[in-house]
This record gives sequence, C-alpha cells and structure tokens, in this order.
Amino acid sequence: MIPETLKKSLQARVASAITAREAAVDVMKELQAHYGWLTDEAVQEAAALLGLSPLQVEELATFYEMIYRRPVGKKVIHVCDSISCWCADCDKIIQYLKDKLGVGLGGTTADGMFTLLPCCCMGMCGDSPAMSVGGVPYGRLTPELVDEILEAERHKV
Amino acid sequence: MPKLIIDDIPVEVAPGTSVLEAARSVGITIPHFCYHPALAIAAACRLCAVKLLDGPVKGIQMSCALPAQDGMVVSTTDPEALKMRALVIEWLMLNHPHDCPVCDEGGECLLQDFTIAGGHSRRRYQGKKRTFQNQYLGEGIHHEMNRCIECYRCVRFYQDYAGGTDFGVMGSAGRVYFGRFQEGALESPFSGNLVDICPTGVFTDKTGRFRARYWDYQFAPSICQHCSVGCNTSPQNFQRETIKIVGRRNDQVNGWFICDRARFDKGYLNDPQRPREPRLDGATCGYDVAVDAAAKSIAEFVRNNGADKLALVGSTRLSLEGMIVLAQVAEAAGGAKVCYFDDAGLQQGSLAAAKLLHEENAAYVKDIEQAQWIALHALDLMEEGPMLALAVRKAFLAGAQIFLVAGDTLPACKALPFKYTSVETLDQVPFEGGGKGVIICGAGSKDPELLAEMASSGAKLVMLQPGPNGFAAALLTQQHAAGPLAELVAARQVQAVVCFEADVPQTLLSDLEVLANADWRRGAVEAKAPIFLPTTTWAESDGTAINYEGRAQRFERSRVAGLPLKGLDPKYYGSATEAVTLHPPRVHRKDVPGGAERDAWQVMAQLIERLGGEPVEPLTGKWRALKSLDPEGEGVRILEMGLGE
Amino acid sequence: MDLPLFRHNRPNRVVTFDEYREEGGFEGLKKAFSGMSPNDVQQAVLDSGLRGRGGAGFATGRKWSFVPRDLPGPRWLICNCDEMEPGTYKDRVLLEHNPYSLIEGMTLACYALGVRHAFIFIRKGYEKAAANLARGMEEAKKAGLLGEHILGSEHSIELDLHLSAGRYICGEETALINALEGKRPNPRSKPPFPAIKGLWQGPTVVNNVETLANVPAIVANGAAWFKGLALNPEGAGSKLFCVSGSVKNRACVELPIGTTLGDIIDGACGGMRDGKKFKACIPGGASTQFLKPEHWNLPMDYDTVAKAGSRLGSGGVIVFDEGHCLVEATLNLINFFARESCGWCTPCREGLPYVKEILTRIENGRGEEDDITILREHVKYLNYTFCALAPGAMAPLDGLLRDFEDEVRDHIVKKKCPLK
Ligand SMILES: Cc1cc2nc3c(=O)[nH]c(=O)nc-3n(C[C@H](O)[C@H](O)[C@H](O)COP(=O)(O)O)c2cc1C
Ligand code: SF4
Ligand code: SF4
Ligand code: SF4
Ligand code: FES
Ligand code: FES
Repeated sequence: MIPETLKKSLQARVASAITAREAAVDVMKELQAHYGWLTDEAVQEAAALLGLSPLQVEELATFYEMIYRRPVGKKVIHVCDSISCWCADCDKIIQYLKDKLGVGLGGTTADGMFTLLPCCCMGMCGDSPAMSVGGVPYGRLTPELVDEILEAERHKV
Repeated sequence: MPKLIIDDIPVEVAPGTSVLEAARSVGITIPHFCYHPALAIAAACRLCAVKLLDGPVKGIQMSCALPAQDGMVVSTTDPEALKMRALVIEWLMLNHPHDCPVCDEGGECLLQDFTIAGGHSRRRYQGKKRTFQNQYLGEGIHHEMNRCIECYRCVRFYQDYAGGTDFGVMGSAGRVYFGRFQEGALESPFSGNLVDICPTGVFTDKTGRFRARYWDYQFAPSICQHCSVGCNTSPQNFQRETIKIVGRRNDQVNGWFICDRARFDKGYLNDPQRPREPRLDGATCGYDVAVDAAAKSIAEFVRNNGADKLALVGSTRLSLEGMIVLAQVAEAAGGAKVCYFDDAGLQQGSLAAAKLLHEENAAYVKDIEQAQWIALHALDLMEEGPMLALAVRKAFLAGAQIFLVAGDTLPACKALPFKYTSVETLDQVPFEGGGKGVIICGAGSKDPELLAEMASSGAKLVMLQPGPNGFAAALLTQQHAAGPLAELVAARQVQAVVCFEADVPQTLLSDLEVLANADWRRGAVEAKAPIFLPTTTWAESDGTAINYEGRAQRFERSRVAGLPLKGLDPKYYGSATEAVTLHPPRVHRKDVPGGAERDAWQVMAQLIERLGGEPVEPLTGKWRALKSLDPEGEGVRILEMGLGE
Repeated sequence: MDLPLFRHNRPNRVVTFDEYREEGGFEGLKKAFSGMSPNDVQQAVLDSGLRGRGGAGFATGRKWSFVPRDLPGPRWLICNCDEMEPGTYKDRVLLEHNPYSLIEGMTLACYALGVRHAFIFIRKGYEKAAANLARGMEEAKKAGLLGEHILGSEHSIELDLHLSAGRYICGEETALINALEGKRPNPRSKPPFPAIKGLWQGPTVVNNVETLANVPAIVANGAAWFKGLALNPEGAGSKLFCVSGSVKNRACVELPIGTTLGDIIDGACGGMRDGKKFKACIPGGASTQFLKPEHWNLPMDYDTVAKAGSRLGSGGVIVFDEGHCLVEATLNLINFFARESCGWCTPCREGLPYVKEILTRIENGRGEEDDITILREHVKYLNYTFCALAPGAMAPLDGLLRDFEDEVRDHIVKKKCPLK
C-alpha cells in the first residue's frame, strides 16, 4: 500500500496528463522509488491510477531498462559496457566490481546493499569507464575510485 | 484503379490494396506471418518480401505494407526476394523448438508450410535456443511460448480487435513474451480465436489436443447454433467425435472469428449420455417400431379427442426444414395445431421483429461497424449475440457513440469491449432522424409497440431472436397462425403434444399428455414421453438456419451419427449370444453403434407417411429458392426474396 | 570563435539566466516576435542550411515545411533528448552547461510551426540536464519569454519535460512518440510520417537538442551568418563533436562543420593517448562505419563523410588505436544493438543475436570460413527491417568486413584473436 500523500500526488500527475497513459512512466518510477522495485502490488497500483489493466502496465514496465520488476538491493549499480567504456577497459572495472561485491551481473550483495547490473551507454563516454550508483553517475573509474565510491554510497542515505 | 504487373501477370486492383493482396487476387500466395486480413498491418515478420523491378518504388519491399500503385513491376521470385524470405525463416528457426511431432498445430501450421516453402533446411546457427516458461491460461487454451515467432497477431487480435486487456506482449528484444500478467484464465469471451489466429502452435485448443491431425478430421461448413447471430464455423470431427470447432470466414456475419461459446461449448455433441436409442415405454426398440408406435398413438388420440386437441411442438432450435415439415405433420394428423414457441412473450416479440424488418431497415454487419451511433436496448449483448459486440467495437473505435438504454443492471455489460453511455430511455439517445444509427435489441419478450417505435426511428435495426433459428420460427408461426403453447394450454385448447426438439417447461407439461418426443437432448419432455425418437444435432445433419437479420445459411453434415469411438462401451465389441468374448471378436455389424439418430424433419416425414400422407420434401414451394444455398457462401437475406410474406 | 552553442558555456557550471541574456540570449526570440512572421522564421532556418543533428542529417527547414498548417487540432513539437547512442554525449554536455538555447530554440520552432504545446523527451540518467531545463523554463516563463502571451503577444507556448526510463529505441522518432503517449515504444510505420500524423495522430516535428539549440542564433544573426560558419562551402554552422576512446583529452567540443578529423583529434583533443597510433574511428555514434587513417584530412560534413562511406551521424567520435581488436569492438557494438532491439521485427530481433554469436566465436578463435558469408548476408538483409536501428547496427559490421576483412580472417585462420 502506498501512503495517501504519494497516491494524491500521483493522481494529480495523471490528471494533468493529456491522456492518462502519458503519465505511465512517471507513475512507475515513483512507485519504484517508494518500494525499491516495481513490485506486483505496485504494478496493480499503477494500473488502478492509470486506468489500465495490470497487464498493460506490465507491457510497459518490462520494456524499460530502468524499471525493475525483480527485487534489487538498496542501491543499484549500473555499469556501462558500451563501446566508449569498452575502449576505456570497462571489462576490468566490471570484473573488479564482481569480485569486490562477490556477485555476478544481476546479483545482489548478501547484505542487500547493492545490485550489480550492466547497462547501455550512459552518455558519459568522455568520462569512461562509467557507472551509476543509486542514480548518481560516476566516471573515469579506477579500482581505487570504485572502492571510495562504494564506501561513500554505502553510508550515504 | 492502380494497374501493376506481378510476376508478368497484369493486375488491376482497388486503390489501397496491398501488393500482397493484389498478388493473392491472381492466385499468387506471398508467404506471410504477421499479415492477417482482419488486423491492422504490422509489417513485423518481414517474410512477405518481394522485389520491385520498376515503377515508383524499387528494390526489396514488404508486400503487405506496400499499397499497389500504377506502374509497379513486382517480382515474387527474384533471387534477392527469395534470399530475404529464406533468411527470415532461418531467423525464426534459430529459436524454434521444431517439436512438430508433439505439437497440436502440426499439419495446419503456417510456420511449417512457409518453412518448407522458404527452402530453409540446413542449420547454420550454432547458438543455444532460448526457452520460456508457459502460463496456465484457463481450460480452453494451452500455451507453449517456445514456439512463438513474434508475429504479434495474438496481441493485435486480443487487445486491438477484441478489446481484451488481460493478455498482451511483455519484454523486448529477443525476449518478447506473449501472455498474461499472472497465470489465470483468459478473460475475453473471444480468447479462443488465439488458436485460429496464431500461425504456430503457441496456442492450441486444450479441449481437443493430441486427438488427431488435420488430415484425420472430417469437417464441413457449419453454422453455430448458440445464438441467432449465426456465426460460420467448421467443426473438426474424428471418429464420430467433435474434437474442435474453428471459425469460418463470412464477412457478412462474423468476419473471421467466433466467440468462445461457439468454440468450446461442444461437450453436449459428444456426450455419452446423449439419448441415442429409440424407446418404446422405456425399452429400447428399432427406429421403425418407434415411428409406427408414434403414428399409431397420434391417430388414436385424434380419433378419441379430435385433431385440434393435439399440438405438434417445435422450437427455435429446430432447423428450417424441421419447422416446415412440422406443420405438414399437423396437417397429416387431420388438422392438429402447431407451435414453435411455448412462451407467449417470446413469440410476440420474435414475430413482431420478423414483421418489422425489411431489406432497407435490417442492419447489415457493415452498418453496425460503420454506424455513427448505436443504441443497445435493454440487452445483454454478450449473452444474446456476443460476436456483434466486436462489430459495435469497430464502430466505437471509429468514433461512434454507444448508448446502453435501460441495461445497466445486466450482468455481462461489464465485459463489453467498448465504452458506452448509460441512458434510461430511447428518447435520451440524441439521434437525428436515424441517419447512420443502429438500434440493437433482443426481440424476445419485447412489447411489439416498443419494437415498432424503434423501427419508426429511421435507424437501422438489429433485433436478436430468441434462439438460433428464431427468425424462421417467427415466419412459420406467422404462416400457420401458430400459437404459443402456453396460451393454448391455458385456454385448454390442447391436451396432448408431440414434441420435436422442444424444451417445454415442466409447468406446462403437467397439464399435458406427451404422445411422443423426438430430440437429441435429455430433459423433462423426454422423461415424460412413452415414445422416444432420437434425432441428430446440427453436427450430424444438413439443414438451414435463419439468423436475426433474416439471413438463411446452410449447414452441412460434418460427421455420421453415432457414439464416439473413444470410450465406446465394450459391449459393442462383444456378442449378444456368447457369454465370453472371443478373440478375435467375430461380431459383425453394419450399423454404427448408437447411430440410430435421424434428422428431425426425416422423422416427421416418416410419420406423415404412416399417417397416410404423401412423401414430403422440406424445401419446396416458396422455400425452393433456398434449396441451392451454398454452404460456403455468405447466405442470403430472405428479406430480399419475399419469403417473409 | 563565435560559435552558436558553446559560447555561453562556463567551465564546470551552468550559465545563469542573466548571463545568457547579457550575451545576446533571447535576442532571436525578441527579433522573431517583433516583426518576423512564423514563415520568416521557418525560411531563415531553411536558408541557413541547418541539418538535423540527431543522426540522419535531414534539412530542418524542409522537415518543418512538411507540417500541414490547415488541419484542425493541435500540432506538436518534440525535442529528442534520448541520446543513448554509444559514444554520444553532446546533448548532455550542452544542457548541463546551458539549457536556455534549447528553450529559446524550441519557443522559436513552436512559433514557426504554430505549435502550442511542446515536449522535451529526456533519457534516464540525464536528471541534471532535466533539472537545468526545469529551472530555465521557470525563469523564461517569469520573464515572459515562455508560457502565456510571450513578450506580450497573443502567442502562448507550453513546454513540458518527459523523463524516460531508458531504452535506445525511444530515440527513434516514431518510437519516441509511442513512448510519450505511454505506449510500448515500438516504432510506427512510415508513412505516415510524424510531420503528417505523429503524437496523438497530430502533425508532429521531432528534432534533436542540438538542432533546436541552433535556431536562436540563426534567427538572431541570420541564415547567411550561420552558413558562413562552416569551413567547407557546402556545409553550414557548427557541430558538437563528442570524442571518446584513445585520445589524450576526451572532450565534447564545438567546431565548425568541415573541420577535418585530424584537427578534431590533434587540435581539440590533444592527439592520440599515450602516443598510440590511430587505427580507425567511428565518426558519428555507434551506428556508423569506420573511418581509417586515410581519412585523417576528411572535412567532417554530412556529404563528405557519406562519400567516404560513413556518416557524420550524431558526432560521437570513437577513436581506436592499434591495440584495439576491431572484431571485439564490433562485437561490443552488436551486443548493444541486440540488447536494444525493440523486438518488433524478425531480422533485427533474431539477426542481431545471430551476428553476435558468430562474432563471439570468431573473437574466441572458433570462427569458420562460412561465417564471413553469413555476416555479409546480415549486412545486406538487415537493411530491410521495420526501422533504422538494425541498418544502423550493421554499419560498423559493414565497415569491419569492408576495411578490416584481413583482421577478421586472421582470427579465423589463427583460431585466436591476434591481439590477445
Ligand atoms: C534507433 C534510433 C535511435 C535514435 N536515437 C536518437 C537520439 O537519441 N536522439 C536524436 O536526436 N535522434 C535519434 N534518432 C534519430 C531520430 O529518429 C530523428 O531522426 C531525429 O531525432 C530527428 O531530429 P533531427 O532532424 O533534429 O536530427 C534515432 C534514430 C534511430 C533509428
Ligand atoms: S508450431 Fe508448427 S513448426 Fe512449430 S512445432 Fe508446431 S507444427 Fe511444428
Ligand atoms: S503467440 Fe502466436 S500469434 Fe502471438 S506472436 Fe507468437 S506466433 Fe504470433
Ligand atoms: S529494426 Fe529492431 S528496433 Fe527497429 S522495429 Fe525492428 S526490431 Fe524494432
Ligand atoms: S559508452 Fe559508456 S557511457 Fe557511453
Ligand atoms: S507479412 Fe508482411 S511483414 Fe509480415
């Protein structure tokens, strides 16, 4: 169940849209922010808000890279594996992240803190290799920098 | 009218026709998966590639999405086009499980056909095949996602065409998945069409899986007998069992599709409990013995009580042939009464509708689809004529306004695949002088004055009949001034009945003597009748039905009468004289077990002969015109033929 | 140099509203609203020779001219800031430094097109750019430069942000329209083109961020001025080049159209990294063919790059040095495209994973002679897809087989990657 305030603000968002569907991505993102991932319950809530069926929300949710339909850790690490980052040896960084977190791609750390996912070009190619942690972008990664970032992100709320 | 050349054949087609359809019009089938005449163009599968050698566009093009234009020179056999098509097949085969032997689609699979046609036979791809988990989609449809070729037909049908919202497409890239949010029965009352529209074996009819292959089936053009819309079907029978029922195209009635009732509600046809043996006073007997007894009983009753105290009772599920001959039985009995309805209200409404409709005001399906407004009057459309809901939906999508008059409390309105405005009376429907409007109502139990008021609105009319052949019942009721049985019984004008496929309610039966009963169904009448004459259903008989708009349609016998081979009682293999079954069995029989049923009108004809009448043919006199009805045609509207008078 | 886009940029921060105005910002808007008709604005854009910066390079003024003005119902403008093409980050850099040029450019475009409501479609991850835009829009509204009655005129223009959730295909203009409508972002068939039937079936123009951000300077300084910025006579204006890969200073720079490849790498980016040798580059984002050392002096303009067998595309220059295996680089690109396929049409959905499987084998020393044939078939027949994603995906593969076939064969013959 979502809090009444969130529900109200989402209803307002839907009402201000030209068609309700137009607000679908916003609604999914807000519900995801609330639950941590887009739970089955969230899909159903989104459907109710948007006047769609849960299946119709699912059709959208499963299309987008940044909507999670499975549980994730407190913060999701998206590490770019596209071409500019490849040029900057992102493979090494990805391996480092896997080793350090003790998970494979798609895995969540035992403490539930991080989920590691590869992602497509983040538009940070000039600062490759790049990743984002909980939505915050980081570039020019080195193993040392990764250590620092993870340490800081772990304690940042 | 664009003129073009396809494979050296000059073709002229209507503007807007695609190259694929233009080719089809001269007998060239361009392979295709995503193209379906009833659905919007998707141009997704890319199989229908052809090469344009000259004209306004050149090179490889998708023929399904390319409107034919003047001066086009099209090759369907150009090596480049062939290569493209072979590659599309190869791509689709990368992940296809190739499990034809255990796939119920095998033999009627578009993918099989076009894979063979495409010439792809050697696997070059070395990767693994992707796999999916299937979902439980209810008792009607089995799901096997691995076979999917992502043509998007199913979702375009289910959501766009039929207005369903619980089935669709999820995921993207190489992981598109066609299914539901969570497992569960499909909600759309048209879900069964997924079986027909999917070009592969992803959706197969669970009620008839693994029983037979396409080439094993006996089938014939038929007409659904669940409601008065009269959708065209094709029952697929195997060893005297109706395994599946699929939709059959008729653009004047149901387009390509049928509702789930038409498809899945077939258990009664194969029911081992169906009464199949003639009976006299509770004991099985020969058919002729039973007919003789019935004739004798009728004659005796007439002698003792007078013919006018006897009624020959039919119903709206009797074929037109049966209805016609029923009146002749009454005549042969010396002027007995005849009834096609038992309920007075139903008869009154049905009759009024048949009288009010004429060629100008009786809506064609196209009129519904192209209407500007539609009023549904106190009508549970999903119950009385589900397929018309899809025609209304087409109008709705094209911008028509839909009104539900005095119908909000009806249960199935929730499931209507279009939005509507509820109003209380017809006056609240804001239409001007009819125009391109359609009123849809159920005729049964309607006040004739109300129906007349609708007819005077200038709108086109759809008056659904009570029962699949209600329109014919109304015509014959009119012709023979037949009465509703209930009224005759109330007025004590009738003491005994002979029933033909009639569902006389218990309340009436208690005041009546039932001399004989002919039916394929069990029920109260059967229980009361001392003589029972088993009849064939529509699946086992030839006949004619007239739908709500007065369209006469022919259905053909799709299989012989008799018990299904599957589950046949071992007694039919044994011997009546030997206590111990011998091996090999040496029981010789020429008749089909349980195959004594006869078409209702033929039973009547035999009765007439026993009663001293002349041999009869049902479709004579004014009905002769229907004799040559083409079962694979669109049927004919008898309103145009003056048969209604 | 007085180039239109980056001249307002401050190092490491976004230019303020006042700074932008002091430097001539919103002068174009004022000029248009005091005496230029909508048609004049469109004509200026047409005359300027501005071509779409989103990848296809279609003449912007011409695209605008396709929009029917006499149909009932609203028309729409959408700014495409989906920017997910690997190697491309120019729109982000622009908006993180200056949201105003885009806001002003969109207002001018709306004026020219008779649009009352426009959208900016922003990819996931560009929250900073979105925040800048949101703030900039508020400022512009307060100053009467956006919203109701712009500059006291009868014209009212509304701008809205649409924040997406990450998919490359959303950048394809018809998929973008579906995404904006809240539908699955599969592309739509063309025709009808968006200019005739787009957003909610109304006439719609979709333009890239950079394209629209150029409009204010064109209107303020005139078409001739803009045309004259280019170094080659056929070219017009400047271009944002965002460079990545093996250069010393990876940066997004604004340079005149017609600047040579060598000048971008040596001049703007300080040359190759660690003294490495230039092996090849992809000049316009992931969906373009390779350029080779022989193209060092190629003027970077749409037609010249096309003649050299590649495309200027988005201006995302990815530079490879002699240590890079181009089979592996191409594999990486294909992997991206296979993942980002929308799944609508067969050749893209199934063909890209097929190519990926083959390139993976070749890279791992398990390639076969036949593979090259199969790859070539894909290069040719993936042109016949529903949208331009798959043909784009084939561009680097086409380049690989055209320019580096020996390198591919080397993998197959040696049964290993020669660079590993
Ligand atoms: C797969 C694909 C992705 C695209 N992504 C973008 C994008 O991120 N940004 C963009 O401006 N154009 C993108 N385009 C091009 C757009 O379809 C469209 O041509 C462009 O936005 C038009 O703007 P312009 O004329 O200003 O260049 C993409 C095209 C394709 C086929
Ligand atoms: S879908 Fe067709 S090709 Fe596939 S397994 Fe079934 S019958 Fe064979
Ligand atoms: S399930 Fe059938 S109809 Fe649906 S996309 Fe797959 S193959 Fe086509
Ligand atoms: S080419 Fe790829 S992205 Fe484009 S429609 Fe086809 S599957 Fe979708
Ligand atoms: S390639 Fe990694 S951020 Fe662009
Ligand atoms: S039939 Fe033409 S693309 Fe599928």
